[in-house]
Amino acid sequence: MKKTIVSMILVGGKGSRLKEITKDTAKPAVSFGAKYRLIDFTLSNLTNSNIDVVGVVTQYEPYDLMSYIGSGASWDLDVVDGGIHFLTPYAKNGDVLWQQGTAHAIRQYFNFVKEYQSNYVLILSGDQIYKMDYQKMLEHHLNHNADITIACTNVEKEEASRFGIVTIDESNRVKTFEEKPSKPKSTLASMGLYLFNTNVLEKLLIFDKSDEIIDFGKNILPKSIADGDIVSAYTFHGYWKDVGTIESLYQANMDLVENPDFLTLNTSRNLPIYSKSLNLPPHIVLNHGDIKQSIIADGCLIDGKVNHSVVGYECIMKRGSKIDHSVIMPNTIINENVQLRNVIVNKGLEIPKNYKLISDEIVLLDSTNIRKIGEIHE
Amino acid sequence: MNNLFLVVDATIKGSFSKLTRHRMPGALPFGAKYRLIDFTLSNCKNSQITNVAIFPYGNYRSLADHIGSGDRWDLNRRKDGIFILPPKNLNLTIDDSISFQRMYEHIEYFLRSNQEYVIVSPANIVWNVDYQVFLHSHLVNNADITEVLSGEHKRLKTYILSKKLLLEYVTHYDSIQFRNLSDVFDYAPKLIRNPYVFENACFYIDSPYDLFTANMQLLLPEVRAQLFYKGRSILSKETMSAASRYGENSSTKNSIIASGAIIEGSVENSVIGRKVVVKHGAKIRNSVIMNQCIIESDAVVEYAILDKETIVKNGSIVSGDYQHLFVSEKKQTVVSNEELHVLQITAECWPFIKTGGLADVVGSLAENLVTQGIVSCVIMPLYSKIKEKYSLLMELKAEQVIAYGNELYKAALFSYTDKGTTYNFIESYDFFDREKVYGYPDDGDRFAFFSKAAVQFLDAFEVVPDIIHIHDWHTGLIPSILKESKRYHSIITLMTIHNIEYQGVQDASILTKLGLAEPISPRPSINFMEIGLSNATTISTVSETYREELRYEYYSKNLVDVINRRDRDFYGILNGLSDEFDPKSDLIIHQKYNLINVFEAKKLNKFDMQQRLNIEVGEQYFVVGMVSRIVEQKGFDILIQAMDEFLQNPNTEFVLLGTGEERYLEKLRLLAEKYPRRVSMNLVYDATEPNYIYAGADVFLMPSRYEPCGIGQMIALKYGTVPIVRQTGGLNDTVDHFDFMTKRGNGFKFYNYDFKDLLFQIRNACQLFNEHPHEWKQLIINAMNSRFSLEQSTKSYIELYSSMVSKSLKQ
Repeated sequence: MKKTIVSMILVGGKGSRLKEITKDTAKPAVSFGAKYRLIDFTLSNLTNSNIDVVGVVTQYEPYDLMSYIGSGASWDLDVVDGGIHFLTPYAKNGDVLWQQGTAHAIRQYFNFVKEYQSNYVLILSGDQIYKMDYQKMLEHHLNHNADITIACTNVEKEEASRFGIVTIDESNRVKTFEEKPSKPKSTLASMGLYLFNTNVLEKLLIFDKSDEIIDFGKNILPKSIADGDIVSAYTFHGYWKDVGTIESLYQANMDLVENPDFLTLNTSRNLPIYSKSLNLPPHIVLNHGDIKQSIIADGCLIDGKVNHSVVGYECIMKRGSKIDHSVIMPNTIINENVQLRNVIVNKGLEIPKNYKLISDEIVLLDSTNIRKIGEIHE
Repeated sequence: MNNLFLVVDATIKGSFSKLTRHRMPGALPFGAKYRLIDFTLSNCKNSQITNVAIFPYGNYRSLADHIGSGDRWDLNRRKDGIFILPPKNLNLTIDDSISFQRMYEHIEYFLRSNQEYVIVSPANIVWNVDYQVFLHSHLVNNADITEVLSGEHKRLKTYILSKKLLLEYVTHYDSIQFRNLSDVFDYAPKLIRNPYVFENACFYIDSPYDLFTANMQLLLPEVRAQLFYKGRSILSKETMSAASRYGENSSTKNSIIASGAIIEGSVENSVIGRKVVVKHGAKIRNSVIMNQCIIESDAVVEYAILDKETIVKNGSIVSGDYQHLFVSEKKQTVVSNEELHVLQITAECWPFIKTGGLADVVGSLAENLVTQGIVSCVIMPLYSKIKEKYSLLMELKAEQVIAYGNELYKAALFSYTDKGTTYNFIESYDFFDREKVYGYPDDGDRFAFFSKAAVQFLDAFEVVPDIIHIHDWHTGLIPSILKESKRYHSIITLMTIHNIEYQGVQDASILTKLGLAEPISPRPSINFMEIGLSNATTISTVSETYREELRYEYYSKNLVDVINRRDRDFYGILNGLSDEFDPKSDLIIHQKYNLINVFEAKKLNKFDMQQRLNIEVGEQYFVVGMVSRIVEQKGFDILIQAMDEFLQNPNTEFVLLGTGEERYLEKLRLLAEKYPRRVSMNLVYDATEPNYIYAGADVFLMPSRYEPCGIGQMIALKYGTVPIVRQTGGLNDTVDHFDFMTKRGNGFKFYNYDFKDLLFQIRNACQLFNEHPHEWKQLIINAMNSRFSLEQSTKSYIELYSSMVSKSLKQ
């Protein structure tokens, strides 16, 4: 079956900066915005862009993510010709092909691209929050007669050294690409989202078989620019957040709380962000419930005060509790008279009665530190 | 073991009125995120049932859409699975539960299913149940048929029996007396019956009130615990919406809120569906708000069911009460009740002139609109009878020269205000100064002229009405005349059909005389009613069931096409009964009564009637009463044969008051001769004094072939005289079949227009009368407690007017 475009989502990384949150799960399976997982955004963008061949390149703790995605039906990606494919590390002729770097993983599964005889390969990562029509990027790619198109977005100057930074000419052609430069030359950052002509990608993936780590940002793109390929930058103007740290996860949740029109999640009819339905009953606010400026998901039972916070699905919050500027991950039980401020509560935690954690900076509360931080007050 | 398959009875229509205009009851939203059928289908999954057939009626698009492939409930199977089996015979009108005939249409399904037992259960029950438990009870009790009852002993129309037994009924549906499983359970001889009482939370949803109370019950934790629990979850179609968002000044107490809602105002004791928006300052209390409704700023909603996508505009107040909920229609825009001007244009209006039920409806509506804060006017012709009686009270309001054909006619408008309603009369020497109201060869010209004059006289009104409400064929040309008018073309119109038999087929030249454009293919005749139905903004009729029936050619005849084309704008509103009919203040009857002394008083009234009509006097006689025009419509074709057989029982009497067609009168006289001293024929129409029959008879008969609304059965109910009616039109909407097991119901109904079915129900009633005096008394109490108030009917009209106005503003 021939397809114009296939997409591959890289979900490999451990995401160790998210600490306990990614202890048992891959980063794209992390909960966000009460009812989503990070991967929902990429998968929904794909289905909204009419791209229905998706390779999910997994490595670290794949079980949770794989069972979440399932057949892909929740995103309408359970199609006959195409759909979701899980591309996991495998053994070949006795060698375990553990993926070494982002590009390495793509090379390992190049047969997948060939099977669909696609003209273009879209490389995505699964842990970003944004809404984008990839067809517009393809249009840009064609209009600029490009070999490679890199999606870019403008970031704050202080943050620029966290990203791959590009410089461009007046026709959007990329002149330089530097991964995490100490002295950034611009504030235009790569979103880690690339569109390749298949033959160009194939050419670039031929490198010596060595133990070296092969990465798009570090190796492939600089090499391609040096080779004289036409590398174009597609500037994206919408909201975009790469969730790599506790702080960025918290900030993204607060962005959602503060902006009623955040990614038009509540209002868009045409480009919804889908997530897997868990068949939960609607949430219930009891007589002592008091909710201000907050996001509450299905299956919750709220009998306390919630202010400026995000409460994930199936949380129980009992009488007398107060949470403020916090993110409660799903399946949490908050017993009577708990007080929290500036806290991310990890999934499935039960917080004992009268527990108090009023923090000035953002802290992650989980089963390993609940006894160490915070206190039981009377 | 999986030895059970399920037949979902989605043929039950219930009495939901607006809520089921666009969907079947099974597809009704419930509990913020579910549809009623989710409970039945989830129960299937949780009972390991893999073979399910749904028998829908009418508009099942919404249901089919919701069910999809059934994969949500694991019913997307290679072997068995879910089957939607639509009606093949589109002329079968609505029944109150699935008939064997309906099953026979899909007999192949039953033959192919290889499970040994079948459960038949409606799509509109909210419960979480393991069907295998019912089967177990059925087997342990060695029963032939098991019926499931709720904890309050309500019948749930849920039956378990063997496929073999069911097939016997289904294959012989046309030769047995039982139409459905309720009949079998109640009447079939020699069956081992097993009533099973289901003690957990269970709601049979049959009306907006049921839907409301069941939603409110969900707010109780113990009820939720019995409906929603881990391991046996209730599954619904997967849809997508974000988590709910609460604003800075929101306040929410004791409510259930589905995902995707945006709450900025306050919500209390309510159930809020998906993607509902409650804006700043809006207040919602004790209400059920379905998906995607928008409650704008500072609006107030109380005791209401808002159907999907209703918009309540800024500052509007929507408030019902527990007895009379406010119910919106899907996609309705509700605006604040600004002063509404309603003008009725009619050929007759009580108390000025009356030839039939039309005058009562128009007159009482005009009067009651005023009490509900509506500005109410009427225009009617000034017949000589009215002139004689009222001319002194009237004042001249305007004079006009009306062009009609090649002539110019002088006409005058007189008006008379009584109890807040302004009645306007058009005087025309040429057309209305006559003895009778109808029955002249130029009736077409008379009412065409009247229609034109009525529109022209709008110039004399200080305020142009928001809505013109017209009735029956006489005023059918008004919408067309308005459309041609420069000043009044934007006035919206409601046309009410009181009886579709009278359509006003007239000479086509009338259109030319009115200066209206000729139709493209000129026919020699035109049909006033058809033109009215095509051109009115909205159309209505006088009961919900009659509205449903008019979609079939059997009832609407030549107008079936136009009715079906207007289906989306077609409403049914039941007429109310005036408070004047009341046995406790009735001066004509022998003994006044109310619920307290009814049994003693009815006996005395019965003796009085028997003496007056010169038939055998005695309490033991079962007296069948009837007050009716004696015409084909009223069911005399089946009645005479049925009564002839029934009267062979010597303890029965038959009393009839009315007049009509000679072919029936003759047979009726023969009947009276055959059973002397037990049959009384009063074949004169004495409409003023039928009350002694309403007060004295035991049962009241209305076996009509069709009956748009009917008033006799309502009066009979009020007088505690048990109605026996055919299940059609308004009779169906006012009479509930008495159920011996639950002691609910206020009369007896039969479905087929067939003398045997009528006879069966008369005998059924007679048996109850003779053998179960206690239940008979309960039935009389139920009858007298039935309520069909003018106030309710008026409110329904006002709701319709308001929704028409808001719809016209939207366009």
